[in-house]
Amino acid sequence: MLELDTVEARYGTATALSDISLNVGAGELVCVVGPNGAGKSTLINVIAGMHRVAAGSIRLGTRNLAHLQSHRFCAEGIAIVPEGRRLFGTMTVCENLELGSYLAGAKARRKESLENACAMFPVLRDKLGQRAETLSGGQQQMVAIARALMACPRLLLLDEPSLGLAPIIVLEVFNSIKRINAEGVAVLLVEQNVAMALDLANRAYVLEEGRIVAQGTPGDLLAQPHIRRAYLGVGAD
Amino acid sequence: MFCLSVPAKFNRDLAAILFAGALLATIPFTGLPPFYESFLYLVFLWTVLATSWNILSGYSGYFSFGHGAFFGAGMYTTAVLASRFDVPFLWTLPAAAGVAVVLGAALGAAVFRVRGIRGELFALVTLAFTFVVGTIVLNTPIDGGPGVYLSGVAVPKIGPSGVSAFFYMGLALALGTVLAAFGIFHSKFGSGLFAIHDDEDVAEVMGVPTLGYKIAAFSVSCSLAGAAGGIHALFLSYVTAGDTFSIVVPLTVVLMSVLGGKRFWAGPAVGAAVITALLYAFTAGDHAVAGKAVFGAVLIAVILFMPQGVLGWFFRRRRPLAKAAQGVVELPPMAYSQKRSDRAVTSEPILIARGVRKAFRGVHALDGVDIEIRRGEILGLLGPNGSGKSTFINLVSGHFPPDAGEMLFDGRDLARCKAHRIARGGIARTYQIPRPFAGLMVRENVAMAAMFGSANLSRGAAMREAQRWLDFTGLTPKANTYPDDLNLHQRKFLELARALATSPQLVLLDEVLSGLTPTEINEAVDLIRAIRDHGTTVVFVEHVMRAVIALTDRIVVLNHGLVIAEGVAADVMARPEVVTAYLGSGHA
Repeated sequence: MLELDTVEARYGTATALSDISLNVGAGELVCVVGPNGAGKSTLINVIAGMHRVAAGSIRLGTRNLAHLQSHRFCAEGIAIVPEGRRLFGTMTVCENLELGSYLAGAKARRKESLENACAMFPVLRDKLGQRAETLSGGQQQMVAIARALMACPRLLLLDEPSLGLAPIIVLEVFNSIKRINAEGVAVLLVEQNVAMALDLANRAYVLEEGRIVAQGTPGDLLAQPHIRRAYLGVGAD
Repeated sequence: MFCLSVPAKFNRDLAAILFAGALLATIPFTGLPPFYESFLYLVFLWTVLATSWNILSGYSGYFSFGHGAFFGAGMYTTAVLASRFDVPFLWTLPAAAGVAVVLGAALGAAVFRVRGIRGELFALVTLAFTFVVGTIVLNTPIDGGPGVYLSGVAVPKIGPSGVSAFFYMGLALALGTVLAAFGIFHSKFGSGLFAIHDDEDVAEVMGVPTLGYKIAAFSVSCSLAGAAGGIHALFLSYVTAGDTFSIVVPLTVVLMSVLGGKRFWAGPAVGAAVITALLYAFTAGDHAVAGKAVFGAVLIAVILFMPQGVLGWFFRRRRPLAKAAQGVVELPPMAYSQKRSDRAVTSEPILIARGVRKAFRGVHALDGVDIEIRRGEILGLLGPNGSGKSTFINLVSGHFPPDAGEMLFDGRDLARCKAHRIARGGIARTYQIPRPFAGLMVRENVAMAAMFGSANLSRGAAMREAQRWLDFTGLTPKANTYPDDLNLHQRKFLELARALATSPQLVLLDEVLSGLTPTEINEAVDLIRAIRDHGTTVVFVEHVMRAVIALTDRIVVLNHGLVIAEGVAADVMARPEVVTAYLGSGHA
């Protein structure tokens, strides 16, 4: 469904991504792992339309998105849960969620989506009238995911959803990602908690210094000792 | 950008300022028509106003729209003293400066205390202040309506012609102002102002006495504006409240400083020269209206294409930043090889918190917490999100005071201490989401901490100390880049380097490991061990269980603002209440 072909991205003269070819099938859950500075967040931003590609193509279905303006990506069915959540802090939880369904198509289904979001994260139901910045980190992350779902996306991009969360919340967030995926939404997940991400994913890519250096099923990747060592910290302790 | 001044460059710039001053001083004797002297007087006047404005607003980022109030206060002080009380003109100038300082310091002492008044609110408050002062002047005997004439006041005789007195007074004040701006720029005081500009809360927690610095900068700024007002009153020889306390002065000085470059000591002077010349060239002739439009267009173009001002553009062209490739920077092997001080964990407490409470809008973030931190230990502080861990760190570092309870550190209660005093006392912290000073290079970021924390070093010593911590964290290859160029891993290590450069007794690490890959976590764990071996006590807020078990001597678990468990990590994690509240059944 999503297909990147030899994508390149730059910051000024510095190359952040080069020769990236990657795909996510409909309903698939794919994760991207790699060290900090490898370009994972840039990759997410490129697919979300927040960073322009320097070369290559991004296709969603049959459409080439590479030269679309950034706000059009949402209409194509891509939603993002950005790193660090980036909620509208002074707005209420409900307003945050409603802004998630800003476009006409999603707006028509707003009520239903809101109901689904509350079903997915029951703790939010009592918090709808509260300002987003007053929530705990875990609850904020739930709002960020729910807000992305309000757009009724075909593809959900998640950038480090477990960042700074307590283990019990991480479990809950990963469970919700599993459920979202089970409902048919394709997911591209960037995550430092490699063990849990690989546990969830159908396939994974390893990104280093802006290039894809390995890909395959979690089983394939974990069979490679250097990947185990580098990304699970196994044997390095 | 400011710290990189090597002494040679400092001396060269200082010599250049003095030489320019001496060169300008010869102009009245060259036989040029007096017109040039009055034109240059205006350049000097605007140089004083723009440069003095920049000392507060450019350096520390507190955008003032109230410069007209202090300029005007100076004008009226001189006008009233000279015309009604027959005080000799030159004697009125210190009074003009003094009145402006009193007004500025009083306003600053009130406004700078309020955390909410920053950015546009400060601009509005200072603008309103201008109109308040203007109204008072207009409706009291100070002016009373008709304006004040200075036609009877004797102009001091300086130089060959009548105008040259103004020329020389303007030149002297402009020279003094530029030297003040230059000196502050290169001082520890200036470094503190730049830190306030980028992130005031972090600056305070790092030991910068922000309130005092802001008031001091405002006072210097106001005194110079006041003295300029005194001279200009005599130059105009007739002052009216309507013209004096208008928006023209603040708007013009802002434009000049932005045009020249606010981050540079010479920026406002360049802007003042350019704009005064442009204003004259475009608006003095027959096409005044068309000229104003051209003038406006030039300004828009400069602001669009040279956002850092003329000087920012100039320096960038001369020294194109060798931007390191965005990819991974190989960190050099750990440079830290100092002998392990065999400090065992003692039972002597370094910090005792008793009955600490803090609520936000009725929500109890901490609800009566007792925590004891022992000298030399690594204490893990755990708990679900929203359990009060960050609040505890914010209280200990002085970001806000507790509602109740005490926190004894070295026998002093931190509850009533300002953040910069706590930093001086030897407590440093990192931020979960790194908060580097974006306008300062990596090296300067670290040096700032060494200058103002408990290390309290001079600028030169701080730069050397910074190198040590850059080596320790492996950031040396990035020392001369801006924090924007760092990836998350490196930013986290910059937080660490900054905290350590203050040479703290106690360092509070707020989730330094979150977002790092397992390999990077291993590196950081080694680093944290090395910090402890160096004798520093560490409080470590973290969710990465592997690191918590590997590092901590003890842990304290918080939930809903209360301590629910305390002890050795492995024991505490097995307790059912900790599993339900924090770890989740997946970990059991």
